[in-house]
Amino acid sequence: MKRILISFLIGATLWSTSACKEEWLDRQPVNVILDSQVWNDPALITSLLANYYNRLPVHTQIDNNNGGFADYDEASWSGSGDGRNNIISYGFDRWRLWDYGLIRDINLALDNIQTSTALTAAQKTQFNAEFRFLRAYQYFELVKRMGGVPLVTKQLVYDFSGDPSPLQVPRAKESEVYDFIGSELDAVMDVLGNDGSNTRANKFTALALKSRAMLYAGSIAKYNNRLAAPITTSGGEVGIPANRATEYYTKSLEASRKILTEGNYALYRVNPNLGENFFEAITRKANNREAIFVKDFLVSKGYRHGYSYDNIARGLREDNLSSSNVTPSLNLVEDFEYLDGSSGELKTRTADNSDYIYYDNLSGPFANKDARLYGTVIYPGTSFKGQEVQIQAGVLVWDGANYQISEGNALGTTYTDGLLQTGSSGPQRSQVDVTNTGFYLRKFVDPAAMSSTRGVGSDIWWVRFRLGEVLLNASEAALELGQTAEALTYVNRVRERAGFGANSLKELTIGRLQNERRVELAFEDHRVWDLKRWRIAHDVWNGNPSNPDAVMYALYPYRVVRPGDAARHNKYVFMKLVAPRFRAPRQFQFGNYYSSIDQSVINNNPKIVRNPFH
Amino acid sequence: MVYQNQPVGVRTNGVQLELWQRGYQLFSKIPVFINQDGSFSASLFDGDYKLVRLRGNGPWADNTDTINVQVRGTTQIDVPVQPYFTISAPTFQRSGTNLTSSAQINQVVSGRTVEQVTLYVGTTQFVDATNNAGSASLSGTAVADLSKPLSLTLATPAAVKGTAYVRLGVKTAGVAELLYTPVQQVTL
Repeated sequence: MKRILISFLIGATLWSTSACKEEWLDRQPVNVILDSQVWNDPALITSLLANYYNRLPVHTQIDNNNGGFADYDEASWSGSGDGRNNIISYGFDRWRLWDYGLIRDINLALDNIQTSTALTAAQKTQFNAEFRFLRAYQYFELVKRMGGVPLVTKQLVYDFSGDPSPLQVPRAKESEVYDFIGSELDAVMDVLGNDGSNTRANKFTALALKSRAMLYAGSIAKYNNRLAAPITTSGGEVGIPANRATEYYTKSLEASRKILTEGNYALYRVNPNLGENFFEAITRKANNREAIFVKDFLVSKGYRHGYSYDNIARGLREDNLSSSNVTPSLNLVEDFEYLDGSSGELKTRTADNSDYIYYDNLSGPFANKDARLYGTVIYPGTSFKGQEVQIQAGVLVWDGANYQISEGNALGTTYTDGLLQTGSSGPQRSQVDVTNTGFYLRKFVDPAAMSSTRGVGSDIWWVRFRLGEVLLNASEAALELGQTAEALTYVNRVRERAGFGANSLKELTIGRLQNERRVELAFEDHRVWDLKRWRIAHDVWNGNPSNPDAVMYALYPYRVVRPGDAARHNKYVFMKLVAPRFRAPRQFQFGNYYSSIDQSVINNNPKIVRNPFH
Repeated sequence: MVYQNQPVGVRTNGVQLELWQRGYQLFSKIPVFINQDGSFSASLFDGDYKLVRLRGNGPWADNTDTINVQVRGTTQIDVPVQPYFTISAPTFQRSGTNLTSSAQINQVVSGRTVEQVTLYVGTTQFVDATNNAGSASLSGTAVADLSKPLSLTLATPAAVKGTAYVRLGVKTAGVAELLYTPVQQVTL
């Protein structure tokens, strides 16, 4: 009886309090943000934008799949496991992307922002433009991997009629997707705002994306049709007609020209040491007028990545694990020319191939090379963070008739003559976390103290667009349009910053530009996409073990021990060899030009056409 | 894979067929890779399958007609294809430090041209464009006239000692995969 009374009293109390506050059931939750709150608050929309910028798809990027740099022909893998050195052939689903989640979220945001009551018209226009920029960026990432994809620009809402066919959008033509990207960017660029920002999209970011996307479309239109059997589908989902090449190249060139004339950008030329200057051009955040669009990080806010932890040179590592995962190949190093314009092939043997060339110091063969080599790669005889990176494989001991190779089992070993045998940074043939190619990465590796530890990490930014690329885009588009004189001025500006004289190139071919892009934009996620759009990936990486492009090479420096021969004793010689841990030559098949579409996507939408060769 | 009752040689790990089985919720292809001698095999449950030749995948003309396959225990089927070119009467000999080979290339599908004819030599029985120790090619004008037999010469690579395995491959312009002769053994 007593218990019943108590529960009645409690019930009565609760009822009476709720009666006093009529909105008891209408209170705002404290842990859920409502639609109406988001779309009426610029700060919340901005944080939503930050989320969407962060979700833009990546292939190889310093904070995501950075080991992927070792999957192509820029570098070999020296970390644990040999998987990346042993890719028999690239899977057809390797570059697959079908992220309509982000597109749906953007379409939803575009609709909801119009319903907002608290935003001003100017704010609405600006946010609207920024969302549409992100959608165009996402469609570019989709089309370069998959070919034409369904163009969904409105929310798809199911009406529960039992018939899903209104939701089943067929694939657009490849050219239609590129046209959509171009027209969207044209529509938003003047209202994007964010002037001067390089982390949020502004007018010049949009132009830079247009410059790149239209160049891709132009080269697919031109070079796909140069193939003996062009890759196309009957509905145009894949392949662009050849007669549209000029139009796309023109659009790309116009976009690049606008950035060059109207934008407040300049090639970074602050440091008189050209090699250091190129490194700073990509990594220095303050007063860097070269960067157009970057993904920024900040250690003090806890937003950081482990790129330096993964890739710092072995002898300089600050943590007890990892280091030296991605190690640049000799192939890439030799693609950097000498400053006199001669081929970049390193001279290691005499002209008649009878003997080694003896160098006084480890950096001998690299003297007078393109300064971008120093900014990209740590090669023997150079330093990083003010310390020398000791790269020496061992010693060559003269026994009276031949050289005997002697390599130390450990790092930093001393030979019997008391001098260095194997350097503290290798290279070694089979040990993990030591370079097996004789080179280390410099580009994007953080020189700040403790940045290569897991505890602190690095906040070097990732450059999505920079002026160097725009100049090369402009040069390529102008060359393809037959405006060679103009093309030369752009590419020569890029080369001049690398230490070549003014107007170092007098004539230009697409082959020269292809090499120029390879060295300028190494490790910036361009290589595989460039080879794909030029339709040469299947030739460069044809899986043939005797093809020097498909196989990764290494350079091993040795000190000569030959007492009594002053011209040779304690000099350095260099050996070229296939990277010891490299197994399978790179093979790119025709079916790799467009990634396969997941079967579940086709099952759900029978209107989706499969890509060729799958 | 057969053409005129003869197996068609391809590269290992390159050319595939796909098997499909309808009637189940999980509908995705079962890739079947073809061995270098043109044979293939798959372990399947009893049932009715559809076998499809992928477009643009092998060294033969596209034919996407479905082949119905009823699997009841062990089942053997022949998959007919029409190669763009065939290689007949291949010969391989050692002559001094060289390997020589000759063969007649026959056009089967008109409208295609030969891009390259290559002699591959390897140290194992797996020999093709991606597994070899050395190769020699003819291309351009050397393969323009197919009425006479072609002959190729290759200096034996240093890595090959004792027994060499040799094979000829013909590449059709615009087709990624090559058609190969059966692997032959040559004693050096």
